[in-house]
Amino acid sequence: MSRRVEDAIEEATAWVYRGIWSVLTGWFRVPAEPPSLPVGPAGDGEHVRSFRPAEGFLRYLKFKFWIALVIIDAAILAGWFFLFLIVPIVALWLAPVAFAFAVLPDVVAYVAIHLRYDTTWYVFSDRSLRIRNGIWVIHETTITFENIQNVSVNSGPIERFFGISNVTVDTAGGGQPGKKSDSGKSVMNYHQGVIEGIDNVNEIRALVLNRVRQSRSAGLGDEALSAAGWSAAHIALLREIRDGLLDR
Amino acid sequence: MNLDARKIERPHPSLLKYYAIVSVLTGPGFLVEFPRLFFKYETLKYRFEDDGMSMSWGVLFRHEINLTYRRIQDIHLSRNIIQRWFGLATLAVQTAAGSASPEMKIEGILESEKLRDYLYTKMRGAREVNENPHDEALTLLREIRDLIRQKSQG
Repeated sequence: MSRRVEDAIEEATAWVYRGIWSVLTGWFRVPAEPPSLPVGPAGDGEHVRSFRPAEGFLRYLKFKFWIALVIIDAAILAGWFFLFLIVPIVALWLAPVAFAFAVLPDVVAYVAIHLRYDTTWYVFSDRSLRIRNGIWVIHETTITFENIQNVSVNSGPIERFFGISNVTVDTAGGGQPGKKSDSGKSVMNYHQGVIEGIDNVNEIRALVLNRVRQSRSAGLGDEALSAAGWSAAHIALLREIRDGLLDR
Repeated sequence: MNLDARKIERPHPSLLKYYAIVSVLTGPGFLVEFPRLFFKYETLKYRFEDDGMSMSWGVLFRHEINLTYRRIQDIHLSRNIIQRWFGLATLAVQTAAGSASPEMKIEGILESEKLRDYLYTKMRGAREVNENPHDEALTLLREIRDLIRQKSQG
């Protein structure tokens, strides 16, 4: 019986969520499709793949949400109970308000978690990566592998339990993350791309690092030079010159 | 990919509407914010060339930013709800300079995604460099080859 009720709640939640999603994509112009990356001419063999964070990331966000929910709701309940002991009538009148305060933010947070998960996209081509996230402000970051300075992988104990990690790629240039701007808003670090909550860290790290290793420039806008100063084109030309001299 | 970036010189008029809404949202700050944004819109000019771009604005305090495509580190396209309604976006372009805020914020372009992809293709690492047109050694070697050919023919 309880199983059926749970299923019904799950179905109702999914239905409500689909409604919210269609309102967002329709009225608030949230793109429903993943972002794309321009690739080279056809036949280049360059392919693009896009993916979302791992399932574990959603479970991790929900886990954090449940912890916060238990703490906040326990505080609200304790406060209300305290009031009930002192002035029971006022407490009874305030019961719906306390209930609303306990439940409404939870629903909002729950929807927000799903929206955050559904609007996060990572796109990788052979030469660059693009990260999209955000609901109110949709933010897309594009970085070529050529410009990446370093790659770092972080994961906390709870994140490891859910089998996910965060990969951060940095480009050249400074700035402190979370620095306040003139208008008082916290600024995101623009010289960074954060690939949050993925479970194929080794693959992504290898992919990015291989490209960074292949690059012979410092990633600061200098031209890539070939190792010995001679490319295949030079060698071919030198052969032609030698052959030309031999023919004479 | 059929966007001629060189034709972009002025932001789209809906940027002024967006600025008006933004300054209304600041409440009493409207009196300060709206004239500032109005004059920014009125004087905002873009110039996209083959190897670099520049933007300038300002009446009393004039600003001009120039940068070359090859020095672009990363490109950020962000759209908030109001901007999405107008079809606008903020295209933030970063070089390797040591500041956390972007060097150039391009606003009021309707084809912002196309412009972003245009800048991306001009960025270093987006295309494989097979042959550098400015490679002097290669040019010199070609000349030597041609000279030898002329000599052997003559």
